[in-house]
Amino acid sequence: MLKYVIRRLLQFIPLLFLVSIGLFALMNATPGGPLAAHGGSRHVNPQRAEQLRRQLGLDQPIALQYVIWLVGNDWMKVDADGDGLAESRGERRGVLRGDFGFSYRTRQPVMDEIAQRLPNTIYLMGVTLVVVALIAIPIGVLSAVRQYSKFDLTATTLAFAGQAIPEFWLGLILILVFYGWLNNPFTGDPLLPAGGMHTLGAPFSVLDWVRHLILPVTMGAVGWVAWYSRFLRSGMLDVMHQDYLRTARAKGVPERRVIYRHALRNALIPLLTIFALDIPYIIAGSLYVELIFSWPGMGRLYYDAATQRDYPLLMAILIITATTTAVCNLLADLGYSVLDPRIRYE
Amino acid sequence: MSNLHLRTCAIPILVVALCALVAAGCQSEAPAPSGGESSIVITIPEDPPSFNGLVTDAGFDSLVMELVLQSVTDIDPQGNIFPELAAGLPTLENGGVVIDEDTGAMDVTWTLRDDVRWADGEPLTAADVLFTWEAISDPEGGIWLQGSDYIDSVEQIDDTTFVVHYTSVFPGYLTQFGGDQVVIWPAHYCDAAQGFVAWDCNRQPLSSGPYVLTEWVTGDHLTFARNPEYTGAVTPSIDQIIVRVVPEPAVRRTLLTRGDADLDVWVTESGLEELKEAEGLTTSLAPTSRWVFRLFPNLVARGTTDPAGTPHPVFSDVRVRQAMRMAIDVDTINQQVFFGYGKPVWTEFFRPPYDVCEVARPAYDPAAAAALLEEAGWVDSDGDGVRECRGCGTAEDGTPMAFELATYGEYGPELEQAHQLVGEMLGAIGMQPSLRIVQGTVMWADAASGGTEQNGEFDLDMYDDGYPGVDPTDHLYFYYHSYSAEPDNGFNVGRWINPDFDALLDEAYTLDEDIRRELFCQMAEILDAELPQILLFSAVNAEVHADRLQGIQSTANDMVTWNVAAWTLAE
Repeated sequence: MLKYVIRRLLQFIPLLFLVSIGLFALMNATPGGPLAAHGGSRHVNPQRAEQLRRQLGLDQPIALQYVIWLVGNDWMKVDADGDGLAESRGERRGVLRGDFGFSYRTRQPVMDEIAQRLPNTIYLMGVTLVVVALIAIPIGVLSAVRQYSKFDLTATTLAFAGQAIPEFWLGLILILVFYGWLNNPFTGDPLLPAGGMHTLGAPFSVLDWVRHLILPVTMGAVGWVAWYSRFLRSGMLDVMHQDYLRTARAKGVPERRVIYRHALRNALIPLLTIFALDIPYIIAGSLYVELIFSWPGMGRLYYDAATQRDYPLLMAILIITATTTAVCNLLADLGYSVLDPRIRYE
Repeated sequence: MSNLHLRTCAIPILVVALCALVAAGCQSEAPAPSGGESSIVITIPEDPPSFNGLVTDAGFDSLVMELVLQSVTDIDPQGNIFPELAAGLPTLENGGVVIDEDTGAMDVTWTLRDDVRWADGEPLTAADVLFTWEAISDPEGGIWLQGSDYIDSVEQIDDTTFVVHYTSVFPGYLTQFGGDQVVIWPAHYCDAAQGFVAWDCNRQPLSSGPYVLTEWVTGDHLTFARNPEYTGAVTPSIDQIIVRVVPEPAVRRTLLTRGDADLDVWVTESGLEELKEAEGLTTSLAPTSRWVFRLFPNLVARGTTDPAGTPHPVFSDVRVRQAMRMAIDVDTINQQVFFGYGKPVWTEFFRPPYDVCEVARPAYDPAAAAALLEEAGWVDSDGDGVRECRGCGTAEDGTPMAFELATYGEYGPELEQAHQLVGEMLGAIGMQPSLRIVQGTVMWADAASGGTEQNGEFDLDMYDDGYPGVDPTDHLYFYYHSYSAEPDNGFNVGRWINPDFDALLDEAYTLDEDIRRELFCQMAEILDAELPQILLFSAVNAEVHADRLQGIQSTANDMVTWNVAAWTLAE
């Protein structure tokens, strides 16, 4: 097992290397560039453009830009002042030595930017995923156990509605209703806040933080709950009629135990794959939720980096997301063997 | 209690718990400063990259910069330049400006106020101005600044006096260290070794302005408190300002209407229309506008950049450009899409102090436009609604009058609708525009990055642009001078060449305002006749604020925070 994990981890190295080359090439092959985002006027002044190209390292050939991104430029001389002479050593250490460069927009180290946003996203998305699991799993199980019951029909209808509702629209409606229209009967203030992580200027209060979570978590969870519960329902239905369940029942195992111990455990295996692939969202964030609820998270950071062509920031977020996806795939594979002892990795 | 009971009770318990949670949250969204201090909330759509408006020029940086840092001079909404850190404005008349008749060099002597202190109590002196200039002009870590090409050196005379030595006359000298981008940075606080564009004080500024930054949670909010060391003409009366980042415009508007925000900046026309009936809110409109929607025809063949090369089959004939202007009903677009907030604009010289030229507003006359196209040799000979070249002289006979009409997507639905209307209006006179929306970062990128305009890969572009400050000279140079027709030299991407215009513009680099006005009016005539760009209408420059917040005056010459010290809160 350990050998298997180590082998898989080693496979990540060439994979991430190829991914980084692909992403870097794609980003630079896209027409347009970061300089156009640096002008209050529509165009960037030519002298300013030349200076920016040099400061941002865009004056180098693309291949060299990638090498610098990977291994830095402190081993080579660069022309920092634009006089045509490469007289001073660069200051970049490269991704392999933990330096993801600086943001074109803020000129701050990329990892500082990410470090400011990542905890906020993990907090929001982590709570959302837990809420999703707590709601979707019971709904999925009950829908399968009581197939075609009123509960099942209601859950199925709501699940289709939940999947069909545009997330963006739902968020705006939630704000309109719970912030714009409904008031707290005791204070007359809006029932729930319209966004942000907590009330600005107010002393810390767990209650206040929880209130700020309700609407964004609801917006983020609706689609997921619908999707997971439907998926689990069909997974449960698949295993409900398996021979080993009949055997368990025949042996006198209580029905509750049959469902939760034997059926659910097996039905969770395919769900685990989906869940594992969704875990990177905890890192990458949900753009729409963050936009609508003014949540200072990774989704908005990524969106801003993409629209403003902030390449170093974009690369860092993409590489982190790719790494998380790869690791979560491995975790999913390992999870199978925990849930199903027949699965063994050598 | 049995399991059944537990299950039965679970849902009501959950509902009660949720209600209790909601009800218990008695705090309003409004900020709650301690001790009954006054506080306001400004909403902005994205995080400022820093407090240095010169580096990224994102607008939001300058907006917060005005709260904490001061310039030597600033510009009011009417376009008047006023001293901020300076004790007065140097002119030829008061001896502050001296021009060497032999060399053409210009010296400008500035005197600073002697009562200005940084937030740490240190005095702000001419040494700070010199430090700022050296940091800006450093080729490694600095950034190009308008007018810097003309500066030979900056010399400190004493604590309050410095001289800017120009190699030639620079008409924009009054805002050299002012306007909405340039402020003076503290020499004793900023680390020059880190470079102007990246130094830490860009994000942790030491204040000389009315407010100091007390907290910045990126992507969420910035909090400012009054600066006790501020010695401006007006002492700020609002204790705390929170700048809250709220990306979604609909949410910003809802925060305003519910009283949880006091000011929303750069509100679009549709936003103004939505909020105009809202109770407790006031709209502030800038007396003039900067951004003018306009058409940029490519006068040379698509994909080429040589002004003397193959002419564009459609737009190289001035009669076609004139016909297009006559075919576009600016008032209809303004009313239907911009709710009447725009103002028709047909000349570059529409903003004070240079709105003095008599250029008649062109008439909307599609019949005359069609006749002009006939005269230019564009005829719909096969009756399919699209004209073909029949002796047009710029294309082979039979070439349809087809071209691409592009705009950029970042502006939003208003521009896209206007884009469609312009397309329909041009189609109505027998032209065949195919509409395309591209990213601004593609359209305006430099040639090496594949910028469509710099590479000539366009036929007709449509977007808004205009010059900052009050001096149009450099704007004209970069848009219309033949020098700027070379890729990456400027933005004369239509490759319009007019030696008479070049000569007039070169002459306009003078301090004699009478001569400048005269020259500008001659240029206006040439532009009106030749139409290298077709100006349509200006976008609104407006803010919406709570009634209780008073003293707000929107401006196209600066950020709305230009007079933040004078803002007051009504009881």
